[in-house]
Amino acid sequence: MEGKNSFYNDNKLNIKKLMKSGVLSSFLSALVAVLLGLIFGFVIMLIALPANALIGFKHIILGGLKRIGDVFYYATPILMTGLSVGFANKMGLFNIGASGQYTMGMYFALYVGFMWDLPDGIHWVVACLAGFVGGMLWGAIPGIFKAFLNVNEVITSIMFNYIGMYLVDMFIQGNSAMYVSDKTRTQYLPAEVQMPSLGIPNSNVHLGIILAILIGILLYIVLQKTTFGYELKATGFNRFASEYAGMKGKRNIILTMAIAGGLSGLGGAFGILAPSGIAGSSMTYEPINIIAPAGFNGIAVALLGNSHPIGIIFSAIFISYIQRGGTLASLAGYKPEIIDIVIAVIIYFSAFTSLILEFISKLFGKGRKNKKTLVDNEIKEAE
Amino acid sequence: METVYYLIQNTLPVAIPLLLVALGGMFSETSGVVNIALEGIMLFGAYFGALFVYFVQDSGLDPQTILILGMLIAAIAGLLYSLLLSFAAINMKANQVITGTSLNMLIPAIILLFSKMYFNSDGVTTSINFYIQKIPVLGDIPILGRMFFQKTYITVIIGFILLIIFTIVFYKTRFGLRLRACGEHPHAADSVGINVYKMRYAGVSLSGILGGIGGFFYSVGVMDGNVNGHTGVAGFGFLALAVMIFGQWRPGKILFASLFFAFLRTLAYSVSLIPFLYNLGINQTYYRMLPYVATMIVLAFTSKKSRAPKSAGIPYDKSLR
Amino acid sequence: MGEYIIEMLNITKTFPGIVANDNITLKLKKGEIHALLGENGAGKSTLMSILFGLYQPDSGEIRKNGKPVKINNPNDANDLGIGMVHQHFKLVDIFTVLENIILGVEPNKMGIIQKDEARKKVLELSEKYGLKVDPDAYVEDITVGMQQRVEILKMLYRDNEILIFDEPTAVLTPQEIRELLQIMRGFAREGKSILFITHKLNEIMEVADRCTVLRKGKCIGTVNVKDTTKEELSRMMVGRDISFKVDKKESKPGEVVLSVRNLNVVSKSHGKNLVKDVSFNVRAGEIVCIAGIDGNGQREIVNAITGLERPTSGTITLCGHDITKASIRERSIRGISHIPEDRHKHGLVLDYKLEENLVLQRYWQPEFQNKGFIKFDAVRKYAERLIDKFDIRSGQGPITITRSMSGGNQQKAIIAREIDKEHELLIAVQPTRGLDVGAIEYVHKQLVATRDAGKAVLLVSLELDEVMDVSDRILVIYEGEIVGELDPKTTTLEELGLYMSGAKRDNAKEINDGREE
Repeated sequence: MEGKNSFYNDNKLNIKKLMKSGVLSSFLSALVAVLLGLIFGFVIMLIALPANALIGFKHIILGGLKRIGDVFYYATPILMTGLSVGFANKMGLFNIGASGQYTMGMYFALYVGFMWDLPDGIHWVVACLAGFVGGMLWGAIPGIFKAFLNVNEVITSIMFNYIGMYLVDMFIQGNSAMYVSDKTRTQYLPAEVQMPSLGIPNSNVHLGIILAILIGILLYIVLQKTTFGYELKATGFNRFASEYAGMKGKRNIILTMAIAGGLSGLGGAFGILAPSGIAGSSMTYEPINIIAPAGFNGIAVALLGNSHPIGIIFSAIFISYIQRGGTLASLAGYKPEIIDIVIAVIIYFSAFTSLILEFISKLFGKGRKNKKTLVDNEIKEAE
Repeated sequence: METVYYLIQNTLPVAIPLLLVALGGMFSETSGVVNIALEGIMLFGAYFGALFVYFVQDSGLDPQTILILGMLIAAIAGLLYSLLLSFAAINMKANQVITGTSLNMLIPAIILLFSKMYFNSDGVTTSINFYIQKIPVLGDIPILGRMFFQKTYITVIIGFILLIIFTIVFYKTRFGLRLRACGEHPHAADSVGINVYKMRYAGVSLSGILGGIGGFFYSVGVMDGNVNGHTGVAGFGFLALAVMIFGQWRPGKILFASLFFAFLRTLAYSVSLIPFLYNLGINQTYYRMLPYVATMIVLAFTSKKSRAPKSAGIPYDKSLR
Repeated sequence: MGEYIIEMLNITKTFPGIVANDNITLKLKKGEIHALLGENGAGKSTLMSILFGLYQPDSGEIRKNGKPVKINNPNDANDLGIGMVHQHFKLVDIFTVLENIILGVEPNKMGIIQKDEARKKVLELSEKYGLKVDPDAYVEDITVGMQQRVEILKMLYRDNEILIFDEPTAVLTPQEIRELLQIMRGFAREGKSILFITHKLNEIMEVADRCTVLRKGKCIGTVNVKDTTKEELSRMMVGRDISFKVDKKESKPGEVVLSVRNLNVVSKSHGKNLVKDVSFNVRAGEIVCIAGIDGNGQREIVNAITGLERPTSGTITLCGHDITKASIRERSIRGISHIPEDRHKHGLVLDYKLEENLVLQRYWQPEFQNKGFIKFDAVRKYAERLIDKFDIRSGQGPITITRSMSGGNQQKAIIAREIDKEHELLIAVQPTRGLDVGAIEYVHKQLVATRDAGKAVLLVSLELDEVMDVSDRILVIYEGEIVGELDPKTTTLEELGLYMSGAKRDNAKEINDGREE
């Protein structure tokens, strides 16, 4: 049985070889998923409003070009949640709780922004750090449940999405310094708590996107070059082997989830602390008992980027790009939700694109050639 | 006593969707497929059930007939939607949790898109009254009649009938035995000539049917016949998964678990009617969180020795024997 | 109608990367016991899976009573009267014996299972063939031997007349093996035809009428057992002469390295005592073997010593240090090396490169990391040295993805890693499982070399030949207790079997060798 197991996987390896390198094959996988997602989106548009489907679809595909600044601005939070989901995924943990962590991070940042009196230059920095801490706390909890009580992190994360959302909404509604009840929204944040703008006209794009990209690169280094990254990936590939090798599995699970949570929390901070083009205003939050979509979009971002930090940077920008196009599609009578549909379909297909690719490469018949050489190797090796 | 009647009358319509959806999850997982898409399946069923109601509510049909027809529509809708999970999980051997998550994201977006474009709202609002003041004969039984057959919905009775049917299917039939074998040891099932793929399709499809019905019953019994794309089914699909785990993948225990969760939720939403709780002055939001917090506590205590089907979540690959 | 009940003609089956069966022909006579002999990986199981309908051959033909048949799935096989006892039992743990037997052919009325009817038939069969089982016991609660009886009853319940036994004796004691061979003979007398897959020559000589030998997917030939010898069969199987004996000098035991005292492990899932009051020593320069049937507490003892699982009570001392509560890492630093039972589950990260796996126990040492950053140059150099020294063969050297390597070379990588690491005690659990003869010889040599270098070796093995050949001292475990200590030079397989099956036991006091006092 074992033997056959490895034969099967040999096959997988061949195809990877065929693809020359893993980067190319994961890029192709992402491409296939995106294409299928867009096609499905187009079909939905045809059903919903056939006459405008073509023009609407053109908005989706090209609309983002007109708003490059906004593409980067809206990419910021989902890049962070994407890194969060991807990082946990490297350890074999599915962080579906990015939403709750995002919301917590946002609340912590808001709290520091409104309630703490800090010097101008560092106020936003502290607020960001607070966001990181808030997310960390909310990420660590599923980690602790998983490590010590063997509770599946998926269920825990989902439950804590709800608990976090209710808690934050309650705290905000109960705080008159933060909340304007007749507008049912939070107050405008003072200018010194807002992130420094990058000064691109007609866009709120801010320092956050640069920080997020730097964090992505940092994560890449941690995963590839450090002993922590080595342990993390080993645990993700084979939990039992990592335990056998004396790695502190429980500590690593909690640490990974805490870091993942922190990344999402920072995303929440980046999201709410964004500067506003209009003087005296800012981003606000409306506590209406809805789970933050940024977390779920982060799942799409992470999957499209194959959980690879650098890949995630590009996929976040891409998702943000089609989201901008989606808002423009309302000019043709559609609603921005069309992009949520496309994103969901992309996730659906990215769960098995590698199989589709395998199928395609088999069609080209190169597998057969490879098979022969491998058999030769086997025999040589055996003799 | 009034409060007790009130709580029981209001717990049951909430418990039934949980019960049915958790049973659905049980069928799916005992066949070997983790169905985290139950949330989306519920919403899909609820949406089509409610749409049906919306279109026929003025036709003069008897409300209970409409409800039963709506239930059938919801069941078919749930079944169809679950096929997307089956295809990815069984044929394509995709990660079941990721696939489920995508299905959960897809359906609210579709509902919102179409509702906003055509109803100028976030979902479907119906105006029919499914509520039953008193069921003839049964409602007159002292005490019990008042608890179970007054101020209720027909969904409660249907739910219990379905529970009995599916408990028998699960334990007593050839189908149930084979299904459980597929989630536990698919290679063993295969070696005695059982088609694992077909059985898994059956398991997921049953969860689609039960999930769709459960979603529709949620919109009837909890949301007064409405469906909203934003709030969806408020995590009931996920709670049902927790109910299933708490119920250790066994119908009897699942009934108990769903009653427990439904009671907590009813309590949370009736705080203002219960003077004792109301006078405590605790922020009502805490009560709202109660089912989710309770889930975590329950899971913390039951997960260490969980009896999950051994092969749930693992794609079956014939070539890997 | 010809003399053959089943003919498999020119069967070829390829898997991606390997030709598992290359033009194999096998003919089974009615009423005979036909052995199928070959090493691990020779293609025996694949051939039988084809006959049982689990795989379809790429080319070739199967005939029953001279007529060509298509066997697309186990149902077809069953309709042709073919049944199979798989090497890894195909039983559902949480089902009862009865439920397992009827699964797939349930007697039912409108889909509702009629258990009473089935129970009657099972009890009749059980009576008739002396296969004692309790139909209502859960499979997870019964012994391995009884599970095998359930598998056999599954075939009988289906009225199969062609019975395939895939390595049926691997999990049994010598006494149980004799009983099984007896039962097989009974079936043959009754006119049932038997295909008996094995790599044990003694059993073939004892029970089979004819024997077909496979090697590396090819058919070497079919011989009449009474006209051949063990030596000839083994030459056909391996392709060269092999020595059955392991070359080793007398052991010179030194200081006590590992001392286990009053170890108890209680199962977390069902509260049973899996290890009961076990005490033993392992000294430097000796190979101590824990022998027993699978599942009698070996795994729990090893886990307690290596730290994978906490014992309920008792102490474990390594070179004088109490390590009962130490972490896995600390035990490794103090000198435990561990060749795990399941190399894919525990021993390797299959998706890592070979070089990354070779430092799995050492990546954190200053030699390989600086301030948390891995020194990839040092890792590469070290890997190249081990690959050279231990002759690990792989497609691309250090950067080969471990999953793509052959089982034997994967095991070599683990052995290289564990032996090259600083250690005082080497724990080897079933180190030759699934390997071919060449690799087995290699592993045995390494174990003996480790002993001769003055290290203590604790071997856990289910292969009785290995137990007798490699070890210097045998501890027999039965139901979590050490029931006997034997000297491989003086004991016999027969005696070992009696201890393993619990039929014989020594007084516990005598076993707890007071040698350290």
